[in-house]
Amino acid sequence: MSVLEITDLRAGVETNDGRKEILKGASLTIKSGEIHAIMGPNGSGKSTLAYTLAGHPKYEVDGGRALLDGQDLLAMTPDERARAGLFLAMQYPVEIPGVSMTNFLRTAVTQVSGQTPKLRDWTKELNIAMKRLRMDPKFARRSTNEGFSGGEKKRAEVLQLELLKPKFAILDETDSGLDVDALRIVSEGVNRAHKNTGCGILLITHYTRILKYIKPDFVHVFAGGHFVKTGGPELADELEETGYDRYLPEGSTESALA
Amino acid sequence: MGVSNSMAAGQRVLPRYDSKDQYRYPAFMPSSADRTVKSFDPAEFVIPTAKQEDWRYAPLERIGEFFEPFRPSGETQVRLSFLDGSGAVSAGSDASVSFERASRSDPLPGSVGKPADRAAALEWDCVQQIYALDVHRDLDQPLLLNVRGTGEDLDALHVAVRFDPGVHATLVIDHRGLARLSEGFEISVGENAVANVISIQEWDAGAKHLGSQRIRVDRSGRLNHSVVTLSGGVVRLRMDPDFGGPDGYLNMLGVYFVDPGEYVEHRTMVVHNHPSCTSRVVYKGALNGKDARSAWVGNALILPQASQTDSYELNRNLVLMPGAVAESEPQLEIENGNIVGAGHASSVGRFDDGQLFYMRSRGIPESAARKLVVHGFFSELVEEIGIPAVSEHLMATIDRRLAMEED
Repeated sequence: MSVLEITDLRAGVETNDGRKEILKGASLTIKSGEIHAIMGPNGSGKSTLAYTLAGHPKYEVDGGRALLDGQDLLAMTPDERARAGLFLAMQYPVEIPGVSMTNFLRTAVTQVSGQTPKLRDWTKELNIAMKRLRMDPKFARRSTNEGFSGGEKKRAEVLQLELLKPKFAILDETDSGLDVDALRIVSEGVNRAHKNTGCGILLITHYTRILKYIKPDFVHVFAGGHFVKTGGPELADELEETGYDRYLPEGSTESALA
Repeated sequence: MGVSNSMAAGQRVLPRYDSKDQYRYPAFMPSSADRTVKSFDPAEFVIPTAKQEDWRYAPLERIGEFFEPFRPSGETQVRLSFLDGSGAVSAGSDASVSFERASRSDPLPGSVGKPADRAAALEWDCVQQIYALDVHRDLDQPLLLNVRGTGEDLDALHVAVRFDPGVHATLVIDHRGLARLSEGFEISVGENAVANVISIQEWDAGAKHLGSQRIRVDRSGRLNHSVVTLSGGVVRLRMDPDFGGPDGYLNMLGVYFVDPGEYVEHRTMVVHNHPSCTSRVVYKGALNGKDARSAWVGNALILPQASQTDSYELNRNLVLMPGAVAESEPQLEIENGNIVGAGHASSVGRFDDGQLFYMRSRGIPESAARKLVVHGFFSELVEEIGIPAVSEHLMATIDRRLAMEED
């Protein structure tokens, strides 16, 4: 049983107009096997929470803690965090020309698991994992994410989730830009990883659509840089009905914040 | 010739180039061949300035000594052996290879083209160490020509290499040590011969090397020419290949890895002067730090007589750290419309923070991420060089330099 414990996390970015605070005291505890959906309006800081936990250099931490099984994540480099068991599926996966998917993933698996998979076993495992996600196995030899469509990139993120077997996975708007079929395939992959490894999942989303496929244990509303409400799956239905307006500061609308 | 011309005599006038209407007859526009001076006489070349096309990228303030007459130090050491170390190839001649000191008046030196710039003409004018290397029969083992610099005094070296008709052979040229070297190579590939020539530049820091390689591929001959430039203060190599007959094949590969403060320039100036020849140029370089500078200039000149030419040139650069500068300049001069192809591609890309973060977020440390990207960038090309000892050494050297970078 692992625990990811986020306490009063504060972080911001440097902008041309000076320092901008985005995370304003976010607190959340998630345990192995739990699925938490984090929902909220555009610009509320959901992605900043994800990237701050993963250690993106753009975001500077101003205070608070993030512990994975008692280890201080915030003191680690991004690769140390990944090796400690954190995974971030990005909304916009990055293209890496010249580095094939298979090479990239084999290196990542070697680093995260501490063992180099035997080439034969690896090729087979990758092939099977790709087929499950309805990915053409030829993609393994193509440069990582290069020339992939939006949907293919998201499948590749879930492929990595399945192969890297993290303790906790943050999925940052993995559902955005997917058609119905792709959404189902990607969701099945996430559910498979959850079932096979018992990992905890933080599912960041703007829409309730993906929650038809991935059933959360908890639903949180994130607005203004922190968690403002927590409930069960029924909270998602309520949000579907009423939107986020009631969680926004007085007099503002979502589009004004975006 | 003649039949149609004589029939048309008196009725048709050949078009002429008119500078006021230059696109009217594109084939008659002046090409680089019409402008370029090629001569053994240094006096025919002015002293280079940054205003001249050929010298616009080079750090002229660091290489001024190469443009004035000089007395070569004679200290460069040259030794020929087999790559596997299976005994030196003796001077004089044996059944398959002859390698000997030569003079300007011997038949081989001075037989392939003419110098294309002042440094190359001065080299020919003053050089004392001239060698003629003639490969008469197929070789199982690659030849290794060691060129070792031993100091900072300016020296000149000239090597004329001939692959006799029909032979299959490989020559590796390995440049090392500390040097100020003005160097001329002539490489001629006989009819139906298949030759591999690999020129490695792995000089000590602060070395300066200006080289001119004049190359000719005879009828149905094939040359795989590779350049691997790994270190040196200033390295500038100009390759001037052409063909001695139709159906020649020329494959030119280049790999360069440039550290901070180094300048590396390669020029591949291919001239298609016979029909049905193929040329393919692929150069790739990585720049590893601030003030690392590189330039690649490629030209494919397809002359009016070179029908059915197939040419392609590509240059890719990978900037690994901010503050490095890579110049890339592909040129094409096509004077014959009846060709198979004339392609070119060029790019300068950056290994950026986004890529680095993505890889790190998958558990890959920064050093391993950089290594993965550089290996991916070079792997196909390095494999194509085709001599495992060279490929392995090359990648190991690059890995070591990437690792040093972190300290």
